[in-house]
Amino acid sequence: MKSRTKKLRLLLVLLILLVAGFLISLLEGPVETSFHDLWNLIINNDSTFRTIFIDLRLSRALLAFLVGASLSLSGAILQGYFQNPMAGPFVVGVSSGASFGAVLCIYLGLNIRIIGFSVQSIFAFASGFAIVSLVYLLSQRKGVFKVETLLLTGIAAGALASALTSFMIFLKADSFEQAVFWLLGSFALSDWNQITAVAPYFFLCFIIAQWLAKDMNLLVLGDDVAQSLGCPVSSVRKIFLAISTFLAASSVSVSGIIGFIGLIVPHWIRILIGPDHRYLFLFSSLTGGIFLLYSDLLARTVLQGELPIGIITAVVGAPFFIYLLSQRK
Amino acid sequence: MKSKRIHAVFLLFFLNSVLFGNQQKTIKDDLDFPFVMISPPQRIISLAPNITEILFDLDLGEKVIGVTRYCDFPEKALKKEKIGGMIDLNLEKIIALNPDLIIGFRGNPLRTIERLRSLHLPLFVLEMGTNLETVFIIIEKIGTITQKEEKAEILAESLKKRYNETQTALRNVQHEPRVFLSIHGTGLWTCGKGSFLNDLIGKARGVNIAGNIPRKWLHYNREQLIHDNPEVIIILSKSETEFSKVKKWIKNEAHLKGIKAVETDRIYFLDENLATRPGPRLIDALEELARILHPQFFKEER
Repeated sequence: MKSRTKKLRLLLVLLILLVAGFLISLLEGPVETSFHDLWNLIINNDSTFRTIFIDLRLSRALLAFLVGASLSLSGAILQGYFQNPMAGPFVVGVSSGASFGAVLCIYLGLNIRIIGFSVQSIFAFASGFAIVSLVYLLSQRKGVFKVETLLLTGIAAGALASALTSFMIFLKADSFEQAVFWLLGSFALSDWNQITAVAPYFFLCFIIAQWLAKDMNLLVLGDDVAQSLGCPVSSVRKIFLAISTFLAASSVSVSGIIGFIGLIVPHWIRILIGPDHRYLFLFSSLTGGIFLLYSDLLARTVLQGELPIGIITAVVGAPFFIYLLSQRK
Repeated sequence: MKSKRIHAVFLLFFLNSVLFGNQQKTIKDDLDFPFVMISPPQRIISLAPNITEILFDLDLGEKVIGVTRYCDFPEKALKKEKIGGMIDLNLEKIIALNPDLIIGFRGNPLRTIERLRSLHLPLFVLEMGTNLETVFIIIEKIGTITQKEEKAEILAESLKKRYNETQTALRNVQHEPRVFLSIHGTGLWTCGKGSFLNDLIGKARGVNIAGNIPRKWLHYNREQLIHDNPEVIIILSKSETEFSKVKKWIKNEAHLKGIKAVETDRIYFLDENLATRPGPRLIDALEELARILHPQFFKEER
């Protein structure tokens, strides 16, 4: 009962932060705007303000939220999956794989759109998925599946993908600014197309994760125990690996690599509300989204011009994370 | 409300075509995107310093409402609203300025250009090119798009004249000195094949020692520099003080002592803002570099 009120209280705080975050994101920007302008937009539908508020600020805030939610959910799934606090989209090689695909696309000079998706996103997605599948296959020995092998193979494959990415960037120094985007992440150029490229995957994956959350709770007890309790272990594992990859790759394909968030947010939540995955998935997604929303707000207001968002997530996230760890009994 | 505005626009079009016989014309930019020309643009945003310089030279300074933070010439450009840098453009500011023409440049990232297009902004993008002559083309294109064809023609012709004069003055050059061009201050960054700076050296009748390397910008190897033994070192810098710093660094570098340019003290300053912007002042850079490399052919003028 006590933990229930705790969860409700946390949910309330998060929702307030969410609404406030979106409001500030709408009102803050290089062009000075006020509530009055926002009101004018609603009443008069002024086209300049519509572009600034809706096409630039709202799309950016929404995308930051969705990417934050996707990465955190991906991290929460992977940590449960591997029973390892080190796990995250980075560790299994998804993020590096996806950014490799995107940079390869720049390198080859491909710049077209297929049914609304840029080829870059498709490449990012495909290569992120390819890396994880490869890692997954390599870590199976005679049908037996080893978690450590998977983690280590993932780290190695991720390192290889990053090295190849850097190599291509080095060869193509002319478009270096694009490289910074893929390596440190940014929402500076977000648009509605990108939201339609992320949102459906996020919601689909979220529903599946929530639906299988009970099975994840069983997996934590060990595969044998889970199996004996009626959980179809191997198919559940495959589904979880697939959706966590989907989430991470679709995020990287629109925002570049944003480090740290997929690793720390699920930890915060576990410390705050405990390890039940039925709540962990929901709260991680919400918190991750809010965290990235505020980080992006900082990234575009702290300095004149833009900061890569990866810097903010680490600078803000790391000390807070260490504080939480030290508070843990 | 909205339909009234549309009617008004149509009426204007109609009047325009009746009174002036003006047909709206569509031209394509260097990325092959169509741009619809209606009336001469009144609110122009420039996304690069060389474009700002050209616009001011075409007497369009008054019409320029936004420039990048690197646009520092002519001095009047400094007073214009800043819309960010060439890479980190500020989309909000651009929209709030309500431009009727944005001239972009291929120094702007492709992603940014795409984003501007997706916001339906009136964007016209120009390619940087790989040689000096591109400047004349850029000027003429800006003339067309701003409907200042005549003025652009005059500007381009006067630049071409100076360009030809330099080439004539250099026609009897016997020996083309080997040149190392240092960019970005300290370190051995230089330009290779395909950069217009490489062409600048060639047109001033020098030989770029990195000119065979098929990369626009590269970090040169020290060993290679010693082996290639340049006769002249040109240091691109923003100011004389910055130049002296780099020069001092090169002269104090023990490994580079044996290089001919260092031995004979043929290390020269070239204003970065002239040489790295494919605008009207690139011809100034050509004249200056020609004088540095072949002073004997320019004696009577100085």
